[in-house]
Amino acid sequence: MHLLRRALHTTSSINPAEISHFSRLSSQWWDEAGEFSFLHKMNPVRIRYIREKLVEVARDEQPSYNESSSASVLKGLDVLDVGCGGGLLSESLARLGAKTTGIDASESNISIAKLHAAQDPRLAQPGPSASLSYLHLPAETLLFQEKRYDVVCSMEVLEHVDNPPAFLDTCAKLVKPGGHLFLSTISRTTLAYFLTIFMAEDVLRKVSRGTHTYSKFIRPEELTAFFRAYPNSTSPWINAGLGSPTRTQAEVRGMVYDPWRASWTLAPRNTSGAADCNYLFWVRKPQAA
Amino acid sequence: MPLATATVRISRPAAGQLRRWLRRSFSTATPEECDVVIVGGGPVGLALASALGSSQLVRESLRVALVEASDLSKIRDWTPQLGTFSNRASSLTHKSQTFLKDIRAWDHVEEERTCPIQDMQVWDGISDARIEFSASLLNLGAPTQGMARMTENLNLQRALLRHLNSVPEVEILDKSKVRTITNESDTGEWPLVHLDNGRTLRSRLVVGADGFNSPVRSFAKITSYGWAYDTQAIVATMFHPTRETFIGRSTTAFQRFLPTGPIAFLPLSDVASSLVWSTKPPLATAMMASGPEVLSRMINAAFRLPDVSMRYLNQVILDAHRAGVPVTGPQIQAEIAWRERTHGIDETSAYASASVDPMKEGVPPTDAELLPPLVKSIQPATIASFPLRFNHTDSYLGEGQGSRTVLLGDAAHTVHPLAGQGLNLGLADVECLSRCIQEALRNGGDIGSRTALLPYAQERYFENHKIMSVMDKLHKLYSTSYEPVVWARSVGLEVVNELDSMKAGLMMEASGKGLGGSSGWDFAANAVETLAATAGAAGAVRAGLVGALTTAAQNVLKTDKSISSNNNH
Repeated sequence: MHLLRRALHTTSSINPAEISHFSRLSSQWWDEAGEFSFLHKMNPVRIRYIREKLVEVARDEQPSYNESSSASVLKGLDVLDVGCGGGLLSESLARLGAKTTGIDASESNISIAKLHAAQDPRLAQPGPSASLSYLHLPAETLLFQEKRYDVVCSMEVLEHVDNPPAFLDTCAKLVKPGGHLFLSTISRTTLAYFLTIFMAEDVLRKVSRGTHTYSKFIRPEELTAFFRAYPNSTSPWINAGLGSPTRTQAEVRGMVYDPWRASWTLAPRNTSGAADCNYLFWVRKPQAA
Repeated sequence: MPLATATVRISRPAAGQLRRWLRRSFSTATPEECDVVIVGGGPVGLALASALGSSQLVRESLRVALVEASDLSKIRDWTPQLGTFSNRASSLTHKSQTFLKDIRAWDHVEEERTCPIQDMQVWDGISDARIEFSASLLNLGAPTQGMARMTENLNLQRALLRHLNSVPEVEILDKSKVRTITNESDTGEWPLVHLDNGRTLRSRLVVGADGFNSPVRSFAKITSYGWAYDTQAIVATMFHPTRETFIGRSTTAFQRFLPTGPIAFLPLSDVASSLVWSTKPPLATAMMASGPEVLSRMINAAFRLPDVSMRYLNQVILDAHRAGVPVTGPQIQAEIAWRERTHGIDETSAYASASVDPMKEGVPPTDAELLPPLVKSIQPATIASFPLRFNHTDSYLGEGQGSRTVLLGDAAHTVHPLAGQGLNLGLADVECLSRCIQEALRNGGDIGSRTALLPYAQERYFENHKIMSVMDKLHKLYSTSYEPVVWARSVGLEVVNELDSMKAGLMMEASGKGLGGSSGWDFAANAVETLAATAGAAGAVRAGLVGALTTAAQNVLKTDKSISSNNNH
């Protein structure tokens, strides 16, 4: 399996070359028309998916779910954003009322994120439940503390780490029982190579060269397979039979970029081929685990 | 930056402290944090404040302030005398009305002071080719609601202010002028709006609803392109006898395209209508200087006499004005009466004005319904004029040092008023911007960011440009009296008029999929597009008539096809 093959080479999930690459680009995090414009445009879609998924789960669990509270579904939750970069996702989560912690292995990313949030009075002087803090440390360090999170997100990070199984294990351990893990990454397909490397980096030069490495891309079925055997094969996070995981345990949703409208859309469930490039992955930690 | 020299010798935290101290001592007040600062308390600015204030999500999460230089209590307490009307009125489309109803602002409009437009009569000043639009063709739920509704701008502004009374969360800062807008010195990202009363608002988003000479646009250094038409628009409130007994309520709008510019007669009540007369600037000046009686008589003539006589009358007025002796009412009446006689128009004809007593009772002549009622007087102090412009900014969003700014309404686009589209475009901007802001809020977005605002610019820029171009082309198409062009545009108009199914189809197309949002003016704009295509054909006419005929025929066929495909849906 691809994930294991990559795991053989390294033990820590952090890749120093990747960190220096993003540190070089850190000043551009908040240039919405620049290097990270695709991420800026993707951000509302990611947030919408997180919100919708949390609302869906809440609805499943409480038949008397009050729909009017769906707008504030993130309010008061402990949320961890692993690989927060300039804080694009963290800021949005904090605005929606989540007690957000953004961590990143690049120190310059964390300073940019802090600087940017300090300008916004609603983030700098948060309300009673919301808050936003940034820490420069690898996710593994957080395992030494007791605190666990209702939601752990790691968006567009997995394709940059060296040891995906170790990284997934760390993220999974940081989730509270019954909590949620949200990932987004790029699938290892010819289409993904064509769009994210050949077109975006080589032809259109929208993204710096070397941002993505094809062999590091991960297919959605590899993630699903990982959680079918995680933490062990007797009581895994996904225990439904083979085939697609049930909606209440895990989900893969494609994100499609529409160059004409210059915006991302979340592909409907079970659209064939939609997850062949950028996709979101959600998995829930069992209550008992 | 001079501060840099001061910070060399001191440690970094101290430098930050010094900078903060300096900033505080330089500005007259500590900046107050705001999320949205709307600059401009006209209908568009107030509509945005109302739209944002009507959203619970916005009320809970944003601090919204509106800054206006004038005293808005004058509008809030506006109590017009019964039967008199303000000279600035707009035809609000169905779409605009639906939006205003959705935000609960329409409840506060004094509907008795508004008037539905159920029919439109539009004709060519040279060939008299005519097109009639009727709301009954539109297949609307309630045709009596008309295709649009004439509403005084003050009536709308007062309604918006009354609505805002019930939204204390939106702060109205009237009698406050924006002195200047600057960037924060050390970061340069968030704009500071300095008011002349010493207050400073640090704003996540500054909205320019501040009209054609927008200070917000200057701050954001957004360039625009455009031109002044060699045209001045005269507005006035006209009084005329009721025609209810024989012709029905005055719910028809009349517009005649004269080579000097279009003249429009828009109903306000059974006995009052609004004038928008676009004409050459010297003629506008001369007519306004000649007084209300001359203007009334000229309005009546402008809807009735052939172009050759209008040219003559214009010359009479211009010559008298140049000589320093303006024409008097009786003089112009005699001139018009003489022109009527030479054209064989007798006093029993609907086309007679000078020889007819406007108050005359009795059965109206044949074809009276094709023409507006005879103006008997003009409401005192309602004659005004303004120059016409075409102007569109290159962008609706500020960038770089001007980021966190957005433009809407006249600050973004100034349009020829010949179809009364200006305010409707502005309200469509408001609807879209407020929708984008709420969408960004739902996703935890920063509502001042480009990411949050880009959908607004993407949706509105092209849409506004399309309508503005059509208005511009129409203006140019009808400013000529070059015969082949007149012939081509007249054929286009008459052909469209004969095909009710095409007219209805054009309306359906204009209304999109659902009829709920259908708008007569949108439809009119579409019909105009067909005409504009004929204008394209007009160019070909110069090369050869055959080409024009083919093009016109193709245009007709093309449109017809799109209708049949539309009906299949």
